[in-house]
Amino acid sequence: MTVKVEVVEGGVPHSKVMIVGLILTIVCIYLTYLNVLTKTELFSFFGGLAAVAALTWGSSTIKVLCSYGIGTGVPSAGMVSFGSGVIAMLFATKFGILSPIVAVVLAAVIGAILGYVANRVIAMKIPVMVKSLTELAMVGSLTLMGFTALITGSFNFSALIAPNTVLTITSAGLTATTSYLTSYIGGALIATVFLLGAIAVQHPFNACLGPNWTQDRMLMLAVECGFISMIVASLMSMPFVRIDAAIISLIVSIIGWYYTYAKYFELSKRDAAAWLDLSPIPEQEGH
Amino acid sequence: MENIVLGIGITALAGALAAVAGAAEDTESNIGSQGDPNSQVQLAPQMGYIHRIFNKAVAGEPPAYGLWCALGAGLTWAFLAMQLNAVLAIVLGCAITIFVQGVYATTAYLGRTASLAKFGQPVYIDILKSMTSVTMAHAFVAVFCTVTICYLMNSALGHPFPLPILGFIWGIALGAAGSATGNPYYGKERQYQNQKFGAGVPIAASGNIVRYAEAGVRNSLDNGWFTAKLGGAASGLCFGFIVFLELWRTVLFEKVGAGWGAIVVGILIILVFMVVDRFIEVWARKTYGPYTKPEEA
Repeated sequence: MTVKVEVVEGGVPHSKVMIVGLILTIVCIYLTYLNVLTKTELFSFFGGLAAVAALTWGSSTIKVLCSYGIGTGVPSAGMVSFGSGVIAMLFATKFGILSPIVAVVLAAVIGAILGYVANRVIAMKIPVMVKSLTELAMVGSLTLMGFTALITGSFNFSALIAPNTVLTITSAGLTATTSYLTSYIGGALIATVFLLGAIAVQHPFNACLGPNWTQDRMLMLAVECGFISMIVASLMSMPFVRIDAAIISLIVSIIGWYYTYAKYFELSKRDAAAWLDLSPIPEQEGH
Repeated sequence: MENIVLGIGITALAGALAAVAGAAEDTESNIGSQGDPNSQVQLAPQMGYIHRIFNKAVAGEPPAYGLWCALGAGLTWAFLAMQLNAVLAIVLGCAITIFVQGVYATTAYLGRTASLAKFGQPVYIDILKSMTSVTMAHAFVAVFCTVTICYLMNSALGHPFPLPILGFIWGIALGAAGSATGNPYYGKERQYQNQKFGAGVPIAASGNIVRYAEAGVRNSLDNGWFTAKLGGAASGLCFGFIVFLELWRTVLFEKVGAGWGAIVVGILIILVFMVVDRFIEVWARKTYGPYTKPEEA
């Protein structure tokens, strides 16, 4: 039996973070559907905002899970989140307008099975394991779906594998072949997005763990990690969506990142023992 | 035949790039105290040893470098798809990646240090300014070399995997090589220079890392300078060998037995290395090890 070593003290309860995170994520992913309704790609940036909301919720979940003495397992929690999430997300993209809902349900099932296996078969016996892995799988699939919508402008499978025609000159003349290598999945850009999200979801708690952990500082860092990932994701969206849509995503993400990064510095300054520049090690009693 | 000669040339170039990448990666992670020696840096203030060592743990080295190299390769892929020149695309992709790496490094240091306020560990702004830029520079060299290797594999050797997934795989390999080869030298030799050689770290000495230099207070740049001499070179050799032998067996033996030739040679290489490793381990234990029979008093 593992003993819980840290307790969540003060701040917003995790269930509230989870509900707000889930609703915001789903709403933002659905807002990218405005692309289809208005026949533009200008609303792609809502996908990035969905990923930011999901990552913030995920970092809070990792805090709950990893309070049970899983110190070195924090990065692994990020990997398991996206490893289970990518399956649900890829399958769900075949369901058109229902994709985000299918992704949530399927990820919950996969996460619950993984949690059951971890607790019963591997016998880790952590009380929140099933619930946390369920949440983490949902976070993984929704973050991937959000970034996918940001980069390709859609969460439909057909947009993810959109092939293009390559003309090659051979001895028989000009031949046209279909190439999937320039698509989001064929070009394996999803691998980059996978790691972007997996590191971003585990980093806030991994960086802020310790006796003076504070919730607002960790959640601010989670939002910051989401926005910095969104910056590079919007750069990677440039070959897929129209340049004005990519630039809107870039501007939104840079503004969000700068604000949260500055805020995080403030909060760290508030919590730190001292904020020194070019100082030696302070003298302490007994050493 | 020309293809094989070109392949061997690319193999040699990739091996050389990998050696540079490995050395830069190990030096970067040692300056940032990433990887397993980080646990002692994290522990030190809790045991009362306030220090001026940079403490940036983004994740373990393999996942962190997996992200940096996959991101560098992903951005390069996107820039190449926008018809940018290959050299420009790689440099630009890696530069943006290193910006992300620097942001992660600063937030990790601030977060870890602020959470240790109870033990009186202050945040040193000069550490943040001077160390982050040095780790960013080293990380750029490591990521640039690795993404270039991936690009060479993809375009010159015709590897079927797209660039981002090659970056993903080789980034994790780079982090693993640097972590496995370089960290013991930093963790056991540099952090614990005050302990008897080969003594390990007894519980009583936990967190008692060396905090003062020959003159003044030691910081992480001193650690990078120290480990660059042997630890960095060893990591470079390790990753260089991995990339070189992997490409060498593929280029030369891929056509033998419908691809099975390369697999058989790969297994042979592993067996040869197992024998060599065992020989070195036995030799080292006999020569230096504390694992001999206790002498009768």
